Amino acid sequence: MSASRRRRLLAGVLTLTAALTASACSGGGEAAQSDPNTITFMAKLFGTAPEPTGELQQAIEKFLGKKIKVTWVPNAEYTEKMNVTLASDSIPQVVVVDPKMPAFVKAAQAGAFWDLTDKLDKYPNLKPTDAQTALNASVNGKTYGLYRMRPLLRSAIIIRKDWLEKVGLKEPTTVDEFYEVAKAFTEKDPDGNGKKDTYGLIIPKWPSSSYASASPYDVVETWFGAPNGWGERDGKVVPGFDTPEFIEANKFLKKMVDEGLINPDFATLDTAKWNEPFFHGRGGMIIDVNIRSRQVLDLFRENGDKDYGDKVTMVGNLARSDGKKFSYPFTGYADSLAISKQSVRTEAELDNVLKTLDKLATKEGQVLLQNGIEGRNFKVDNGDTATLINVDDPAVRTVQDNVDDAFTQLSTKGTMDIGGIAYQRIPPFQPYRDIIDKQKKLVEEDLKTAVHNVALPVVAPTQVEKGPQIDKIIGDARVKFLSGAIDEAGLKAEIQKWHDGGGTQIITEVNDLLAKLPK
Amino acid sequence: MATDLATPPTAARKSTRPKRADKVPLGMAVLRYRWLYLMLVPGVAYFAIFKYLPMYGVTIAFQDYLPFLGYSGSPWVGLKHFEQLFSGPDFARLLANTLILAALHILFVFTAPVIVALMLNELRVNILKRSIQSLIYIPHFLSWTIVAALTYVLFAADFGVIAGWMRDLLGDTTKIDYMAQEQWFREIVIMQQLWKMTGWGTIIYLAALAGVDPNLYEAARMDGAGRFRQLWHVTLPAIRPTVVVMAILASGNLLDSGFEQIWLMTTSLNREVAEVFDTYVYYAGVQNGNFSYSTAVGLFKGVAGVILIFGSNWLAKRMGQRGLF
Amino acid sequence: MTTMTETKPKKLAVEHHGSAGSRVFDVLNVVALVGLALITVLPLIYVLAASLASEPEIAARPFFLWPEKVVTEAYEYIFATPTFIRSLLTTVVVTAVGMVVQVMLTFTMAYPLAKRYLPGRTLVLNLVIFTMVFSGGMIPTYLVVRDLGLLDSYWALILPLAINPFYLIIVKSFFQELPQALEEAARIDGCNEMGVFLKIVLPLSKPIIATFSLFYAVAIWNDYMSPLLYISDPDKWTLQILVRQLIATDPAAALSQMDRTWVPPEQGVKFAIIVIATLPILFFYPFLQKHFAKGVLIGGVKE
Repeated sequence: MSASRRRRLLAGVLTLTAALTASACSGGGEAAQSDPNTITFMAKLFGTAPEPTGELQQAIEKFLGKKIKVTWVPNAEYTEKMNVTLASDSIPQVVVVDPKMPAFVKAAQAGAFWDLTDKLDKYPNLKPTDAQTALNASVNGKTYGLYRMRPLLRSAIIIRKDWLEKVGLKEPTTVDEFYEVAKAFTEKDPDGNGKKDTYGLIIPKWPSSSYASASPYDVVETWFGAPNGWGERDGKVVPGFDTPEFIEANKFLKKMVDEGLINPDFATLDTAKWNEPFFHGRGGMIIDVNIRSRQVLDLFRENGDKDYGDKVTMVGNLARSDGKKFSYPFTGYADSLAISKQSVRTEAELDNVLKTLDKLATKEGQVLLQNGIEGRNFKVDNGDTATLINVDDPAVRTVQDNVDDAFTQLSTKGTMDIGGIAYQRIPPFQPYRDIIDKQKKLVEEDLKTAVHNVALPVVAPTQVEKGPQIDKIIGDARVKFLSGAIDEAGLKAEIQKWHDGGGTQIITEVNDLLAKLPK
Repeated sequence: MATDLATPPTAARKSTRPKRADKVPLGMAVLRYRWLYLMLVPGVAYFAIFKYLPMYGVTIAFQDYLPFLGYSGSPWVGLKHFEQLFSGPDFARLLANTLILAALHILFVFTAPVIVALMLNELRVNILKRSIQSLIYIPHFLSWTIVAALTYVLFAADFGVIAGWMRDLLGDTTKIDYMAQEQWFREIVIMQQLWKMTGWGTIIYLAALAGVDPNLYEAARMDGAGRFRQLWHVTLPAIRPTVVVMAILASGNLLDSGFEQIWLMTTSLNREVAEVFDTYVYYAGVQNGNFSYSTAVGLFKGVAGVILIFGSNWLAKRMGQRGLF
Repeated sequence: MTTMTETKPKKLAVEHHGSAGSRVFDVLNVVALVGLALITVLPLIYVLAASLASEPEIAARPFFLWPEKVVTEAYEYIFATPTFIRSLLTTVVVTAVGMVVQVMLTFTMAYPLAKRYLPGRTLVLNLVIFTMVFSGGMIPTYLVVRDLGLLDSYWALILPLAINPFYLIIVKSFFQELPQALEEAARIDGCNEMGVFLKIVLPLSKPIIATFSLFYAVAIWNDYMSPLLYISDPDKWTLQILVRQLIATDPAAALSQMDRTWVPPEQGVKFAIIVIATLPILFFYPFLQKHFAKGVLIGGVKE
């Protein structure tokens, strides 16, 4: 017994020593490789990582005529991995990153990434398609990456269509009609169970407690005429919560809370469970991105509901009482592809990388990244939409997953949602086609009244230093006011706390930086 | 026999042990205990390489560290981050919140496994004992994300299980949002910890109880000791050293509240009582990419931890326990 | 081994001369523990039930213990994921090897530290305790692992966590509680310290070895930070990365609310991956319990 135990122990120690010595010798320099025929990336991963030898990656490599090596990092821990990677000298050449993330801003300003401001014009597909979005994605006018284009206008209200019919109201177009619908959904028993157990609007606990983070509150404030984040008032740029419209909008929401028109757990409802009250018939409206309409259609359809198309409708942004309409746009981009100076050392190397990215930004490249392999996992209908095919073939499913979970993250020209220069993906069912058609019209209409955040291009130093701490003051105060924990005076006192905690400084800096921007 | 029970095992041991060898020259000691020292080598090497080698990292608490610039390239800023921490308007509140949660943790979460282990030890139906043990330690494997989701299922204001009972059994339809409110925050957090950690915590005490010599019980019974006197004179002394060691170790982590759990349970309405060092550092440090600041907070927590751990060790020894060393 | 069967009837015999108070206590104790087990288990059954329920059912029913209609879609989805089986196997192997290495290192170091007469022991202990509250942080540790050439090696999941100082101290104090008489006897028989450790102390420590094997195994099993930081090659990822990926609520995602084109996995998949990731390591416990039942001396004296 003990003899065999000793042998095993010895064997274990030997293995350990051997492993240590072996690895100590093989280790060292993976960094500083600059093979012009291999481009390295680091990107976020949702779901499972693609195989380097997978069908899709091979197709992309064949198209580029170059090898690609992607470090896929699970989305939830991307920041951590990013930080250790920055600290070591093995950073990939092209990194997907939020260009406003303080750690990135600091690193870029310290020279960790290439300044691409005047370098993109000679690459036909990298030249920004929209100058304003390019400016929005910049750091004080300096471009540290290729922005990834995303839909500019995505806000909408998703409504239980059958409930609307039950209470005999039409789709709301103004905040007053919206209020009427919410009231009827609460009081007129839209689910017909004889009990008063429904509410009009469903709001979840917003994951970011920062102000201006595309929450339903931010959208409603914009409807009332408050700036979207930052806006101009009397020749000076001010944060939205410094305007009377902000207070106005929140009083409106507070009235809805007090009358029971909003779910009682709006401070805690998990965003992952946002659709549940809607589906279960407890709440009738959701203010969120328009693609959520398809998620709730999925739920009704999977439940075996034949008339699932009659359960869901969608309207766009609303006009306020005086008929004036202000719509809430998004930023038009999400993350950038930044190029590391550590691993791309010379202008010639940079040119090589940019040329590759330029090729990837052509229609053919974007289709590979966003749609996959034509004839394998999708086919093109009417010349502009993609329909999935061979969905039951496991090998094809892998191609599709590689697109959805991973490679679409490298696309700079739109997403499958809007298509961009690739094909828009549409489920092969009529209700989906109907709602997407409607979405297109709503977006077109709302874009005319979009209120843009004028401060997007600038990053104030004090914001970098203190932003996250003081930003949540406003987000918290808003929820406290709605729940009744503080009154209007309390809300204003909290806003003052933001000013005192560094906000005044931020306002000055934002105004100065905006004045310095290239016009 | 009663004298046997009363004599602590330590007393018997001391007489047969070699005296402390402080007086012996080092070379002699090394030679005499060469096998013991040899056994220390791999462990000491581990601590040297993986724990002490990276310790230079704490210097970034005194820098404005940027990963890209590295340790040598980042500017030195002295005590700036500590000043920011201690002079911040939130410091007193953070400290209070952290300490209150720590006190509740010690009071309930630390003691619960001891009590449950003792209860399990008294359980005589073996199959029941084993089944219960196997069931109650499963929650250890669930992440806080899942625990938070389950808490929501239970406590949701709208259609939570508790709200359902309040409505159906008591006719109370006020729909309290327990998870949003300041006054329920600590209760819920401690309940979550109890649920997730108690079963797992019993394992170490059950292992200690497994080491009790059955003859001791036999002897106690022959002396006419009942169940409770056996518990008092045999079982408790048997796990006391383990409890003491666990308590001292726990004291070092008093300022750790566990980021993920607290972060998930924080809402706009309860932040006043929910925010602790760990979550605050997340906002100020990690989200901001301010490594130096979070290291400074870590250093502060470390100093507090060292004081607490060595302090409680000293206290334990003063009280006649063995302590850590 | 044989003594075990002898002790059992003795324990049963005790029940006869229990007083009335003792019996009341027994009843209350059973009731309390069963209640505790129920509180623990009901939410777990919900997790299991939800993993087998359809998406609309999860959305419609706030809490249930069995789905109206059992669907196995979520499990099929996970098992069809190409990396799933490989990451499961990887995790099992890394856990097994890691556990052995870590337990060996911990017990070997704990034994000399339990000897109060060993010069320098207090210093080593102090240094160990120091590491429990101070650490150099994520980045310097990463750089050490990189300089050792351990990046993208499974050893990076094992060696940086090879000795948990908490466990070391607890094992050390367990060793201190062991009866010394046996060691003395062995020493007189001519064993050196290593021999005493291998022949006497380790066999006496079976329940403790079992306990800490479990602790270490579970720690490696649940670890996602090490594979995330040290392993870039997705082929070598462990199960927990997959799990995190499917269930994590992401603090940083709060910042990128703007980019919600990605559809999160369905609720059923989230629950199913929890079940799948928990079951294998749960099977470990019964083996451990066997050792608990024996107790130290019963096993030891026979040897």
